[in-house]
Amino acid sequence: MAVDRYEDVEFGEELPEFTPDISMPKVVQFTQAAQMNFGRFTDHDEARKSGLPGAIVPGIMSQGILAALIHRWAPTAQIQKIDTVFRAPLVVDSAPTCRGVVTDMDDESRIVEIDLTLCNEAGETRVLGTALVRL
Amino acid sequence: MEFNIDEMKEQYVDHPFDEVEFVVDAEDMVAFAQACGETAPHFLDPKAPDFRAVPNYASRYHGRRSLPKGFPVNMMASFDAGKSVEITGSIRAGDRLTARSHIHDIFEKTGRSGGMLFIVHRMEFSNQDDIKVSTVDWRMVVRLDMTRDKKAKRGAKTQSGES
Repeated sequence: MAVDRYEDVEFGEELPEFTPDISMPKVVQFTQAAQMNFGRFTDHDEARKSGLPGAIVPGIMSQGILAALIHRWAPTAQIQKIDTVFRAPLVVDSAPTCRGVVTDMDDESRIVEIDLTLCNEAGETRVLGTALVRL
Repeated sequence: MEFNIDEMKEQYVDHPFDEVEFVVDAEDMVAFAQACGETAPHFLDPKAPDFRAVPNYASRYHGRRSLPKGFPVNMMASFDAGKSVEITGSIRAGDRLTARSHIHDIFEKTGRSGGMLFIVHRMEFSNQDDIKVSTVDWRMVVRLDMTRDKKAKRGAKTQSGES
């Protein structure tokens, strides 16, 4: 069930996880919108030639996916800050899982802190971060 | 290459080196949001009340240069270690954003895989009403051991008569 108000949030609550679509067409859509048309994002062969395991998802797309995780959980949430660490590449056409957990709550400001992760199929964390969210 | 962090900080941190303008396009806002898996109409439908860009939208913009002139690091040797976006206002379709860049911090870290130089590139975005809407910190990393190893190998080659 979607969260509307700060009072609906529980410390330690896990956000409903989801598997984002990082298929090649979706990544191409992103790179065109963001004007990041580079082969390492949109061409597996070209990416492999430069030593990558395949075309990789742009870091800021991963960040946007983690922001979407928050909005799917709380559609009216206002993200004040989102900080992400690109620990390792996330390969295009794979099936990662993004997760979030509420790690802090400030009753006065009505801001919650959420730890975020984006893991590959092997369960390895590729992108992690935190967000401050006002409800 | 050896880096003198204190000297680099004094010379480069907090000195603006780039300013550029962008006009925000509604179609790009929607495509960006769709590709990230957003479902809320206020990110996807330009006719929705309060239609606005997703929180990290400003991170898609780049200045005319990534580092100040004379900065002693080759961009090609660096990698993108992360981004932090602070949102202080909404970005709307048709907004004219001004982005100003400076180096926010330079520091060294040593981990299991060796030393790394972190360069925090900050872009501050204001809209046409001079309201600050977003601050994007881009953490660039250069592996120090890699540059040192290369230098050592070059030195070894030179000593053995190779070039």
